[in-house]
Amino acid sequence: MIHDLAPQIFNGLVLGAFYAIVGIGLSLIMNLTGTINMAHGSFMTLAGYLAFTMVSRGTSFWFALIAAPLIAVVVGILVERTFGLSLMAEEVYRLVWGANGVPFSPPPGLASAVSLGFMSFPKFRIFIVAVLVVAIVALALFLTRTRFGLRLRAAVQDTEMIAALGTNTQLLYAVNFGLGIFLAGIAGVLAAGMLGLSPTSGNALLMPAFVTVIIGGMGSLFGSIVGGLLIGMTISLTTLWIPAASEVSMYVLMALVLMIRPRGLFGEEGIFG
Amino acid sequence: MKARTELLAAAAVVAFFAAAPYLAPLVHLDISIVSEVLVTAIAVMSVNLLLGYTGLPAFGNAAYFGLGAYGAALSVQYLGFHFIEAILAGTVLAFVGGLILAPFLLRRRGIYFGLLSIAFGQVFYFIAYRDTDLTGGEDGMTITRPYFGLPSAHVAIHELSFYYIALVAFILALLAFRSVVRSPFGRTLVAIRQNEARVRFLGLNSDRFIFVALLISATMAGVSGALFALLINFAYPLELDWHQSGYFVLSMILGGAGTIWGSLAGAFIYVVGKDIISTITPLWQIFLGALFVACVLGFPRGLLGSLAALFTRSTTRSDTDANAAFDAHASAEINVGP
Repeated sequence: MIHDLAPQIFNGLVLGAFYAIVGIGLSLIMNLTGTINMAHGSFMTLAGYLAFTMVSRGTSFWFALIAAPLIAVVVGILVERTFGLSLMAEEVYRLVWGANGVPFSPPPGLASAVSLGFMSFPKFRIFIVAVLVVAIVALALFLTRTRFGLRLRAAVQDTEMIAALGTNTQLLYAVNFGLGIFLAGIAGVLAAGMLGLSPTSGNALLMPAFVTVIIGGMGSLFGSIVGGLLIGMTISLTTLWIPAASEVSMYVLMALVLMIRPRGLFGEEGIFG
Repeated sequence: MKARTELLAAAAVVAFFAAAPYLAPLVHLDISIVSEVLVTAIAVMSVNLLLGYTGLPAFGNAAYFGLGAYGAALSVQYLGFHFIEAILAGTVLAFVGGLILAPFLLRRRGIYFGLLSIAFGQVFYFIAYRDTDLTGGEDGMTITRPYFGLPSAHVAIHELSFYYIALVAFILALLAFRSVVRSPFGRTLVAIRQNEARVRFLGLNSDRFIFVALLISATMAGVSGALFALLINFAYPLELDWHQSGYFVLSMILGGAGTIWGSLAGAFIYVVGKDIISTITPLWQIFLGALFVACVLGFPRGLLGSLAALFTRSTTRSDTDANAAFDAHASAEINVGP
């Protein structure tokens, strides 16, 4: 029993961390601009492919992990986001990198598994969780401890007032959008190493991220973390017990949460309420 | 628009489409593509009612569209339904889908409504995708187009007769749509978009209006989906996917949000554009995406919205760029202040 269950719980955590970080990126953009970034998944895929190209050209994985999301951010800020764009993106990826998935393996140092006594677990997945936790903590510190983060949260409450007080809101929007894409980019590179890479792989993560935001409650960073982990667990446990329901399970969870908490678990106005 | 101008324009459009079977071959367009335009226009109208008029981001209407398609296909496959009965079956299934989802969507506004529409819509996608025994799963289900059941005979429906059936369905849907949005009910929906708090102050329960609008929208999308399944003799899971909703929303924006004829214009650009581009290059998505981006940049109010603005030279600014022309008209009666 424990031999089946434990790995699935760990996998659920890893998946959940992905959903959380993508959900947070979506949330950031949604809170400030009031739009759903339909192209979010495309930026994830873009970062994944960029990292793939870099690594296959001989750069180190560590460099690609930071550089690929940064390039995605630049592209993102240049082209902004529309649904029409995400349509184009998928085809462009198909054109440049081929319609079939490409193999993208984690660096040799992380390729092995560690033994935890009762089970063994791939090192790369533990690494993923570590990176995602660091990213989330860094973001939280940025938003709560820096002047820029303070302005960002203030802009969510009242953009006009913040502009009237002399803050460059254009810059604020760009940085906020960039942050969201950067998080998506990191998730994209890591997901490429774990789940593989294909033109539609980013969009496959997008829908759970939407549900993450809904369950966690819009506007709440903490909510996205909890929501992501809940969904990750739900999906990986239903995969174990009722495989046929694995895709639908998160929507059932969402319906249940909404019946009890119509605004999601931690839904409030503003990033931290 | 003056009543007489509108009547003349409508007559011209209907005459154009009535003659389309003779015109389409001249430009090497298959008549079934024109049928698809008319059928899609009904689905775009269903999005227009929620998004263009009421201001609710209807990103989940593909669910009702797909339910309509599967309702029709399943009833033909397993129950041996005839043409009209199959369309009714699809429509009823979509209506029931709307009834199930409405309680979850009813109180939500803005992007929250959009997200929930997308997410709940995906449930139906995965049901169709997973339930391979019944629906054929990812491969979809192929059906033979049913006969038109008359009391005395069963009439086979060929592409041309299907086209005229689609035209009649479109005209009926358009008339229904027009009378809904022109009614006090429809005006209230516009008022909800412009200022919901004010509507509530006037003593109207806006949730109730939205509930009815949702059901009308689901029903229209269902009719469209059922017709679509019988047009291509096929039902497949991607019809239920949120990308399909995206196409409807974009078509609506292309044609003109909050305009009665905009849905037809948008569906025309989308379907014919897709058909032409996909015969030239397999990379049609790139060009379709580019077409969407270009149209949104070139005609920020949609094709019809921009045209109307050109003619009326409306100077009134309104809350939504997309349908300023319609707003200027409606706000004179409903909205007293900003």
